[in-house]
Amino acid sequence: MGLSSADTATEAIQLCIFDLRRGQQEGQELDKILFFFPADFPFSRQLSVIGLSEGLITFTRIFSPEVACEVIEADRHTHVFYEAEPDIWMVMIVEKNESEAIWRVDALQKVLKEIHSLFLMFHGSIRALLEKEPAGGLIRSHLYPFIIDYLRDFLFGKKLLLPSFRDCLKERGTVQMLTVSREAAIEVQSLVRLLEGSAGNKPCYSLILFQDLLVSTTLSPVDTISLFTYSILRLTPHALSSGVSSWSYLRKGSTASHVATGSILTHSASVLEQVYGSQDTSHGVDDNYHVARPLQQDRWSKGNDGFLVTDLWGAENGSSTPAAPTIWLQQTEERMYLSAYQYKSLTLILLVPVASILNGDQGVSLVKQQVHENASLKMLKVEEILSKGWGGENAYHVSGYRYLLVDGDRSVSRSSPPGKVTTLTKESLLVLSKVREEVDLEKGQMVGVNAGLEKDLEICIRAKNNAWVIARITKGKEVYMVLERANDTLLYASEAVEKFSNRYCNGAFSLD
Amino acid sequence: MSGKASSSQPTVRLSGSGGLSHVYIQYPPLRCNISGSRGLFYDDGNKLLHSPTSDRVFSWKTVPFSSLADPISDLISEGPILSIRYSLDEKFIAVQRSNHDIQFWHRETGETFSQRCRSESESILGFFWTDCPLCDIVFVKTSGLDFFAYNSESKLLHLVETRKLNVSWYVYTHESRLVLLASGMQCKTFNGFQLSSMGIIRLPRFEMAMAKPEADSKPVLAAEDIFIITVYGRIYCVQVDRVAMLLHLYRFYRDAVVQQGSLPIYSSRISVSVVDNVLLVHQVDAKVVILYDIFADSQAPISAPLPLLLRDLRRYNSSASQSGREDCESSEANIVSENEATIYGDDWTFLVPDLICDAANKILWKIHLDLEAISASSSEMPSVLEFLQRRKLEVKKAKQLCLAMARTVILERRPVAMVARAMDVLVTSYSHSIKMGSYLKGIKSEKALPSTATYVGSPSSAADTTASRMGVLGRSAKHESAASADSEHFNRTSTFSTSDTEENASFEPPKTNPSDIQSVDSRMDVGANVQTSSSQHHLLGASNTPLDANVSEQQEELTSPAIAPDEMYGFVFTPVEEEMVGDPSYLVAIIVEFLHSANSEKIKVHPNLYVLTIQLLARNERYTELGLFVINKILEPSKEVALQLLESGRQNIQTRKLGLDMLRQLSLHHDYVLFLVQDGYYLEALRYARKYKVNTVRPSLFLEAAYASNDSQRLAAVLRFFSDFIPGFQNTSDHNTYYRILNEMSSSIAGHCF
Repeated sequence: MGLSSADTATEAIQLCIFDLRRGQQEGQELDKILFFFPADFPFSRQLSVIGLSEGLITFTRIFSPEVACEVIEADRHTHVFYEAEPDIWMVMIVEKNESEAIWRVDALQKVLKEIHSLFLMFHGSIRALLEKEPAGGLIRSHLYPFIIDYLRDFLFGKKLLLPSFRDCLKERGTVQMLTVSREAAIEVQSLVRLLEGSAGNKPCYSLILFQDLLVSTTLSPVDTISLFTYSILRLTPHALSSGVSSWSYLRKGSTASHVATGSILTHSASVLEQVYGSQDTSHGVDDNYHVARPLQQDRWSKGNDGFLVTDLWGAENGSSTPAAPTIWLQQTEERMYLSAYQYKSLTLILLVPVASILNGDQGVSLVKQQVHENASLKMLKVEEILSKGWGGENAYHVSGYRYLLVDGDRSVSRSSPPGKVTTLTKESLLVLSKVREEVDLEKGQMVGVNAGLEKDLEICIRAKNNAWVIARITKGKEVYMVLERANDTLLYASEAVEKFSNRYCNGAFSLD
Repeated sequence: MSGKASSSQPTVRLSGSGGLSHVYIQYPPLRCNISGSRGLFYDDGNKLLHSPTSDRVFSWKTVPFSSLADPISDLISEGPILSIRYSLDEKFIAVQRSNHDIQFWHRETGETFSQRCRSESESILGFFWTDCPLCDIVFVKTSGLDFFAYNSESKLLHLVETRKLNVSWYVYTHESRLVLLASGMQCKTFNGFQLSSMGIIRLPRFEMAMAKPEADSKPVLAAEDIFIITVYGRIYCVQVDRVAMLLHLYRFYRDAVVQQGSLPIYSSRISVSVVDNVLLVHQVDAKVVILYDIFADSQAPISAPLPLLLRDLRRYNSSASQSGREDCESSEANIVSENEATIYGDDWTFLVPDLICDAANKILWKIHLDLEAISASSSEMPSVLEFLQRRKLEVKKAKQLCLAMARTVILERRPVAMVARAMDVLVTSYSHSIKMGSYLKGIKSEKALPSTATYVGSPSSAADTTASRMGVLGRSAKHESAASADSEHFNRTSTFSTSDTEENASFEPPKTNPSDIQSVDSRMDVGANVQTSSSQHHLLGASNTPLDANVSEQQEELTSPAIAPDEMYGFVFTPVEEEMVGDPSYLVAIIVEFLHSANSEKIKVHPNLYVLTIQLLARNERYTELGLFVINKILEPSKEVALQLLESGRQNIQTRKLGLDMLRQLSLHHDYVLFLVQDGYYLEALRYARKYKVNTVRPSLFLEAAYASNDSQRLAAVLRFFSDFIPGFQNTSDHNTYYRILNEMSSSIAGHCF
């Protein structure tokens, strides 16, 4: 065993990031390691984990240079690989459960991917930071607090709980959208133009959320996902009031399924520090580097003017006012000032290019003022109209169905409300997780073989508990569903999908 | 001077008014110079100008106004003439000979008779003909009103009714059918009667406000200080208060007279005109005119006081190409003489509603609004548009100006909020005109009505009225706000004036409403349209899109400057899109605002506008937004939209899929199948075709696609499909060809294998 060195709570999980281009000389192997969790792991053990991973990557590259190793299924552990940037690998090692397949590789990979894209958004690429300071201190001082802050969201009690089979009706790395009427949509678009017009003629972008759902974006899909993810982690009303018991799309699901996927967990903010507190200084967090920690919890609050404020980005030189937050866009590789405004359930995020604002924070507050002047009234209206059309937390519940809809082209997903998913038996969830695993494999092969044409796919399984577990893929759209207490004929299951498709997906999954 | 300025600027000008005036009179005037004339008399009932000589009376039609109008003449007997009026059917001529008698001629038979006062103590102040069912002519006497009807049997007038009142003087206009009788020491107590086709309505007695110069002095109100005006179908009385230097406005309702504010005056001599529902207050001494649009709730003038301009021949010539008003190939190319050109001369009388009579020179001018100059003088674009949308006289010009302004404001990239308001004005106005049925059909219904217009009260128009009233109620509050606050309760008790609808206020009263004012207006419309048609083509410029044809063929039907969404697309968005350079997101923002307005008014938008939006977004590679627009149905699904999505989706597969999905959702099976095949999904296409029984797509298309895949199994599958589901397919040449090809393919594979 041996993994139980520090704390039983974390024995099951290791997470590391390493750079294959570094430490190629004997004796310099430690240079490779950019991040390792748990940090108190002996270096020898760290090196052996990384050594194994590196060996496998090198080996599999011989056969598949583009997509090297994705996963190692060892006897008691699963090693999940993700090549975040060329030659920079993230590996997550989770302990297997002896009797049940609780992990789905793709879901774990998506966690790694999410960590990386959030990191990109706030700090830029790992490679760039490495090039900035080849010694590696800079990147380590960035990665360590960042990932710790990120993992804190998965901390439940004293346990880190990663996405498991219980989350198979969720899809990380997608956005959830609010369905709006045409009238509301026009109103929202009108607000978007007002908002983006407030920064003068600078090319800016915006994101609008209602509750934890996306209403509008003008960002590219990849940037939308990152910013959306961050928003529901830290910016939306639920994220802000994470301690207060209020409705949360994610919260209910997470507490219910015992796997934290969102923000939440106020009381636990310090737990990781208690657990790993001793390592904080020993491991890379050097006072020489001033590092913003945007994922720290409870650091955003709503200011008097409706704008969200934080001191996460430090203070402006010589003053006490907090510096304006900035993020990087992946699409354009531009640095942007981030201003978030909140009115009731409505959260508006405006991104203005740093390059276009000459006098820094002062310029940002000018833009904010403009937003306030131009768009306040419209925001009231939009909030009102969206609230009116909002069906509540169970708005997208379809009775009889537990489903997950994924539009891969648009990176949008919608699923049964978490509270409803918890009514499913463990059995059904395990089967669905298994089915999804199969579908993931199948999808991976599709990409390889015939990139031009998309294949349709349909799986319909009768589980031992007599539930129907269904997966269907058509033209880049996926639907997964579980029908418990259903009739036992396949025809019934097929018709149920058809009905669902016609009513809720504009017939996208209807059999041609 | 101004002529030169304008000639250097082609097409519609939006800036630099050139003329430095908002109101003008156009040379040449109507000349009424008859030798031996004994003065000019204006007969507003028939819109005629009479010039009697010793034995004849010459009459010029003033509507439609033309400087070339020839007079008609009638014989009358000699004698003093105090006033002349033709009966409304123009069969009789009535001439007031003295304070006690009026003489009548039957124009065809030449028969004549006289009507005298019964007692010497009373004298006749004047008279007018009426279309009230009760009587034909009304005498206003110092002792009250006498209503007479003509009896064709006895060929005499007989007295129908008398109203006993003390009358110092009176004011009457035919367009309002209202007579106001002044009495009292200061002549500020008024009795009023409206003699409409519904009958006689007596107004409550009311007093006019007059400031006192000193405590004990009592100024006397004179007839020259009272004007009855009709704007937007409402009747007002305008009273000059010389002491306070104010112009008081009173609005008449059936059961009340309400003062509605005061306007400042800057001259001791004041006169008013109404041109196209705009109130013109002539400050005669100051030689300027101030314009008010009483429709709006504010009583701020439309623009600064500016002189009345005489557009002379030179100016006319130079500006003919652009504004080309009257087609005066004036043979009498005489130059304006010095005294003729005296603006606000002492001999000017202002006739109701928009004429000026120069008694000394025996000429008649018609007052015109210079819409271009007015619209150029204000930077408050939305309110200018509102003003223009309310115009009915020069509908085409107003419309062209609106279109031009809409284009300019977008090209100049004015703030979105402002353009949004402008769009809202245009859309609301259009929606309103649709509800009122005045868009593109006014004249037709107008023509159907008897020319001797009946007033409100006929069953048909009453129904009409209630219908339109419901439509307007909501908006009236918006546009009238302050004004409606006090008029609200009167609306319910209803009206004195022409109709409920107009009471409720609108951009224009419904054309179907048979009030005299409007029928007059529309007759003018026809005239104006014909005259300006050539120039309108100029204004339209190079764009030879449908409306152009529309304009020339149906121009007489154009009765509202409202702009349909199609026209917004054709004359605003398309040209702007062509001219605009750089980032198209501004234009997208404007289109969103336009859709916003259209949606709130429930107006359908031309699918081409959606197509344009897709093009703009795709050009900027804003595919995420495009997706949102489509998914949220901001761009309503249609075949045009779907095809554009497929086209723009050549660079972006997600967008292309949206197009395909839209085709499927619209049940455009044939197109859907075609595009599936085109994208290589021919097996899916076959399944779909079978499910929805699409049999319009040629089998050869599928076969070609399958053949192109170079997969014999697929080709076989497709062949089998057609053999199974199309009867007789086995005998077609397609089958034979591809069957042979399939055999070759499989034999070559077999060859490879062995």
